Amino acid sequence: MMVFDAVLAAACLVAAAMALFARDRIAAVAAFLVMGLLIALAWLRLGAPDVALAEAAIGAGLTGALLLRSAHRIPAAPTKPLPSAQWLGAGVLSVAVGGAIVWTSMSIGAAPAYPPLVAVAVPESGVENPVTAVLLNFRAWDTLLEIAVLFAALAVVAVVKPVRPRIAPLGPLMLPFARVVLPLTILLAGHLLWQGGHAPGGAFQAGAVLAGGAIALGLSGAVRPIRWGRAGLAWLSILGLAAFAVAALAAELLTGALLGYPAGAAKAWIIAIESALTLSIAATLLLLFFGPAERH
Amino acid sequence: MTELLHFAGIGLMIAGTAFLAMAALGVWRLPDLLSRLHVLTKADTAGVALIALGAACLAQSFAATLSLLLCTLLVALSGATTGHLIARDHVESASSQEESP
Repeated sequence: MMVFDAVLAAACLVAAAMALFARDRIAAVAAFLVMGLLIALAWLRLGAPDVALAEAAIGAGLTGALLLRSAHRIPAAPTKPLPSAQWLGAGVLSVAVGGAIVWTSMSIGAAPAYPPLVAVAVPESGVENPVTAVLLNFRAWDTLLEIAVLFAALAVVAVVKPVRPRIAPLGPLMLPFARVVLPLTILLAGHLLWQGGHAPGGAFQAGAVLAGGAIALGLSGAVRPIRWGRAGLAWLSILGLAAFAVAALAAELLTGALLGYPAGAAKAWIIAIESALTLSIAATLLLLFFGPAERH
Repeated sequence: MTELLHFAGIGLMIAGTAFLAMAALGVWRLPDLLSRLHVLTKADTAGVALIALGAACLAQSFAATLSLLLCTLLVALSGATTGHLIARDHVESASSQEESP
């Protein structure tokens, strides 16, 4: 597997270089997408399937879709080369940051202290997947704030009011495609959500998959996104944050600890919060893609 | 029986890899977009299907076989659809260029 890992690392670098130096913007986005998939493979090789799933679904899939959607509308990049001082500065900065990362990871040593603690405490968390245990129980506070960040991003986009993409119907094959893919993504999202309790999966991956299916439906032209009820989607996008905050306060009242779930019922709490988060993340990503508000 | 399945699985995966390599070679060597798409959509789908079939022989669990089947179905569907979309866009932009030179 050494050879495979070396080839994978080299391929990541090549894809990154292609994304940076491609003249055509679409080609650059395509290279970025490929790099995302390769990095997902690298995460898998590093034993982090949860991160790999998130990278493939959000990092490569949905970010790629958002970039492609915007690639046409941004004016062409300036063709004149950067001044050499800027090249030099960027190079020095990259080497410094890279060196700092290498030095930090070297000085931590082989065995970080966190995983053994998590392994000991996982049975108390209500779920068997250590990643979900950390995200939704031990460090649920962090995740609550992450959801707030996602909502803040959507709020900024709503304030800026970008021009919505004109959705031209994408031809006769797109609707049959959406007919097969959308039900599958709903099933898959439910599966990923439930699986998060005991294996890699969870709300972020499930929400991204759901949003992907809905985007396919939107691009098929069968449903005009304007008629989807943007207000409904907006409410859905705040639902996750609201449900999470209510759960935090309810837990505070019940157990005296913010997000300290009642003993024995942790799994139900976690699945309920994650269900709200899945719908919310999907709605947020959908609104980011199709634009949250009409420009006047 | 297990031995036989093992060898069948390896053989199928090698055949699938050959198809994918052929697709890559085609994209690299063929001259224009439509012929590249032609080789890519067909060889790609066949290659992934063969690799999934081989992996199913090795996996020997019903759940894993089902997931592999789902992967194959999704790759076939999205490959065919994106191939169609790219070709459509190409043909449309070519014809609109002819109309307004």
